[in-house]
Amino acid sequence: MVGIGYRKDFASEFLGNTALRPEFIEVAPENWIGVGGFWKKQFRRALEKYPLFTHGLSLSVGSPDELDFEFLSKVKTFLAETGARIYSEHLSYAKCDNAHLYDLLPIPFTAEAVKHVAGRIRTVQDVLERQIAIEIVSYYTPVAPELSEIEFINAIITEANCGLLLDVNNVYVNSFNHGYDAKAFLKQLPMDKVSYIHMAGHLQVSDTLIIDTHGEAIVDPVYELFDFAMQQLGRDVPVLLERDFNIPEMGELQQEMDKLKSIKNKAIKVQPYAAA
Amino acid sequence: MQQPDTTTTFQHQSALAAYCRTGKMTHIPGVNRKNVSYYRRLVSNVVNDTLENAYPLTFELLSKKEWKNTVDDFLSKHPCHSPQVWYMPKEFYAYLIEKQHPILIKYPVLKDLLWFEWIEIELFMMEDRVVGYRQIGNSLEDKLVLNPELAMLLFRYPVHLKNPLQIIEKDKSDYYVVAHRDKEGEVKFNELSPAMFRVVEYLAGEALTLPQLLGRFESEYQLALSMADRDMVAGFIAKAIEQQLLLGFIN
Repeated sequence: MVGIGYRKDFASEFLGNTALRPEFIEVAPENWIGVGGFWKKQFRRALEKYPLFTHGLSLSVGSPDELDFEFLSKVKTFLAETGARIYSEHLSYAKCDNAHLYDLLPIPFTAEAVKHVAGRIRTVQDVLERQIAIEIVSYYTPVAPELSEIEFINAIITEANCGLLLDVNNVYVNSFNHGYDAKAFLKQLPMDKVSYIHMAGHLQVSDTLIIDTHGEAIVDPVYELFDFAMQQLGRDVPVLLERDFNIPEMGELQQEMDKLKSIKNKAIKVQPYAAA
Repeated sequence: MQQPDTTTTFQHQSALAAYCRTGKMTHIPGVNRKNVSYYRRLVSNVVNDTLENAYPLTFELLSKKEWKNTVDDFLSKHPCHSPQVWYMPKEFYAYLIEKQHPILIKYPVLKDLLWFEWIEIELFMMEDRVVGYRQIGNSLEDKLVLNPELAMLLFRYPVHLKNPLQIIEKDKSDYYVVAHRDKEGEVKFNELSPAMFRVVEYLAGEALTLPQLLGRFESEYQLALSMADRDMVAGFIAKAIEQQLLLGFIN
């Protein structure tokens, strides 16, 4: 399956024609919980046509603050009411000192953070009564690191017993920003834990820094890394195209999704021979 | 859940979050000083863009410097509580009112303007409120059902009528306004006379027939309504049904 991030910016156009034909849609529960009126009607129309995946923004599993159980309860209700197939969140924090920041800040790669965050993910899974997938986020600076990024991620996934949302663009962005081999990084990930893949575009702002904007088309090196990841994975998982800004014609998004599907199908078909 | 005592990891996280909100950096080991500024920029942009989209008239009224200073002040001093970013602009309004922010003194119209702009968002976005009613009825015998997706507003300045840049001190008065969301999801603002505003307040309390409404009005104000007054109220009821401020009837 290849899906699209359902955004209010193009909801009407998306629902009004067939230029964009995803196999599922994804939303952030935060943007739809407690929403009625025009947007709810539109959302219902989308849900009648497409399976729903969800991707949270504000749960802040990496936060020093206490988990927001009231909000978590609302998320649980939302997931049940919409029949959401997947709930994923970011390996980052968006709230600290009781203040939401509405962006994804990098967690220090420390053993202390591993223990804290893994425990919180387990709690979230207990409350939601489902396994969640955790996304490797892009980051622009390390923060007081004691572990390498791969050590940190793998320890969290193991201790939390959660799924992994593999954002291939984020791996590419991080490998560029922090000077490592993206393919070598992918090889060290627990691919059996990957339950969902995200793909997106980015913006290079200097010779040494790429920002994960979701505002551009996917670039060829990220498609190549996706091909590599699919070959490593060797099985089908849902893939999402994220586009949050500079929304192009629907046809252009469909072309990107077609390309993702083509690469995925080819990689999966090739795999048995490659494995043999 | 019991949280552990403050730890080094938490302190570093707190320092980064504080930097994003205030721009004041304390030492965090391993941080790339150049790149970390992007986080400050990203957080600031999200808050600024969300507020600018929520309050376009306020953004137009204030100078760029005033807007930036007010938003920066809010971001650095107010801990945003809502996990839903679309709800954050209400906290901005509440913050300025609670702090009696100096910008409200410079622009007396601002308090009403912010509330006017926020109410449009809140009504547009609010959860559906379902009430039972039928569309056909007789207001003399059937009770009138008010649209529950509404807000009753009392403005001192005509922010619902005029561009705020053109509002002057002479415009200061009492403006009774009812805002509601129609079936298409559109938010409409209607200025009413104080008497009709009171009629809507009665209906917000409970569904009433037209004679009950008139009786309550006469009782509260100790007066006898003329036939012309009664026709005026009946006319208002008919118009309110047409505009979906009143949804219909119930026994």
